Amino acid sequence: MDRTSRVVFAVLLIVVAAPALALVIRALGPVWFFPNIVPSGNAVQRFTEDFGGGRLWRAAGTSVALATLTGAGGTVLALIAARSLARARRGLRHVAEAGALLPVVMPPIALGVGVHVLALQLHVSGSLVGVLGAHLIPAAGYVTLYLLGVFSAYEWALEDEARTLGAGRVQVWTRVTLPLLRARLAEAVLLGALVSWGQLALTLVVGGGAVRTLPVELLAFLRSGDDHLAAVAALLLSIPPAAGVAVLARGMRSTGGVV
Amino acid sequence: MNARGGTAGWPLARVLPLVSVALVAAPALVGGAYSLAASVGVVGAGAADAAWSDGWRVLLTPETWRSLAWTAITSAIATLIALATAVFIGVRLRSSPMGRWLAVAPIAVPHVAAALAAILLLGQSGLVSRLAVGVGLTSVPADFPALAYNASAVALIATMAWKEFPFLALTVLAVLDTRGSALEESAQTLGATRIQAFRRITWPLLWRGVAPAVIAVYAFLLGTYEMPALLGPSDPVPFPVLTLERSTDPDLQRRGEAHVLALTALAATLALVAVHQRLRAASGDGD
Repeated sequence: MDRTSRVVFAVLLIVVAAPALALVIRALGPVWFFPNIVPSGNAVQRFTEDFGGGRLWRAAGTSVALATLTGAGGTVLALIAARSLARARRGLRHVAEAGALLPVVMPPIALGVGVHVLALQLHVSGSLVGVLGAHLIPAAGYVTLYLLGVFSAYEWALEDEARTLGAGRVQVWTRVTLPLLRARLAEAVLLGALVSWGQLALTLVVGGGAVRTLPVELLAFLRSGDDHLAAVAALLLSIPPAAGVAVLARGMRSTGGVV
Repeated sequence: MNARGGTAGWPLARVLPLVSVALVAAPALVGGAYSLAASVGVVGAGAADAAWSDGWRVLLTPETWRSLAWTAITSAIATLIALATAVFIGVRLRSSPMGRWLAVAPIAVPHVAAALAAILLLGQSGLVSRLAVGVGLTSVPADFPALAYNASAVALIATMAWKEFPFLALTVLAVLDTRGSALEESAQTLGATRIQAFRRITWPLLWRGVAPAVIAVYAFLLGTYEMPALLGPSDPVPFPVLTLERSTDPDLQRRGEAHVLALTALAATLALVAVHQRLRAASGDGD
């Protein structure tokens, strides 16, 4: 690395790390008098008090439940879609890819406003089921695109061979397809979960403020002037995706996924 | 029909791809259709007394167009900054594994967390303002320039660019890795300066590969809610925030406007998707 590149690296390090540092510093204590750099007050006590039955704990639980169900449900939908699409005619595959792209590129608010009316008609607006349904829409789109990449490099011959040797459709699924795709499917669940984990717009519109996820609580803490707990919520929100992205990055390198 | 899957002759195999895509795309399509129906007062809150044109009147107000124009401009500036950052970092740090890792690290931070970090960092009583007091540049929060919550949108643009440059950097690095650096090295051997080699060789080749990702980032920023909601001004109201405000308006008649705004955003996004698909096809990645 030449001298200029070292300077660029140093600047990049500061630019990337500074926002995370700001969150960590603000999470250290509830009182942050100007112009002190480090906050004061007993952060641990406040943190444990709140976590002992407070909003952050419940919000984290709701977010984990939604992310898990979205990841799993989105992967089931996407697996059915991507597996059949990967073997479809080229023209149909293009139409299908555009179909899967639609829920991915649709602005969340635009999507949420329409889906909210749908949720009202189905009497699931303001409920966990309604929000789960809303999260599944973009998640299924993302995961379908990911799995299309996976199936483009899939060894179909192994399934054909199993059939030739007398395996039934269920046996092909349980003995060949699922074992072969186990790692990729785990990554797909993770991707779907990540789409749900950071969702604010869809949760607000369809959940109507009644479904309290971590992003919703973060916004509420901030709007009520409690940027200490907002920073704690932001850190809780950032740690799982950091681990998830590392796993996904490894998976994408090995599959050439299109996401 | 299909030699690979062994499903020839199975009638469901012909319709399964369409059925499965319908499963994935239908909720978005049905949601869009509901928005369309609600925008003309057929369904939704206030449907009983809404006239055909009530919701669409929102498109005649200057507030809507100011909001849309402001959102389009701030998103465009953020996209350009993210692109410039990604290209600069990609070209400079492509051979450094640590640099490559750093360049994509912000992808992991959710948008709402990034927006909060921007407030804590760039707000008038934020960390940078406190450091400015520490080195004697300012003495009270009001001395520090207001970077958030106003129409200049400095904090919002910085956050958008911070969140989006990693995705563009990934694309830039992928293009650079595929191509290698032989052409630039030849040009420099023949006497071209580093800047000339970049302008004449690197950039034209890079742009073809990166253009679809740039369009995708712009489309995403146009529709994103979290960052403008936390960092944007109250005048003009950012377009996604305006849409959400209308959809929860206590006046039921105004909720129809939310659907018109949502359809406007959707139309803009679909136009950008069409551009994206054309650019992908042109860059030879259409399959």
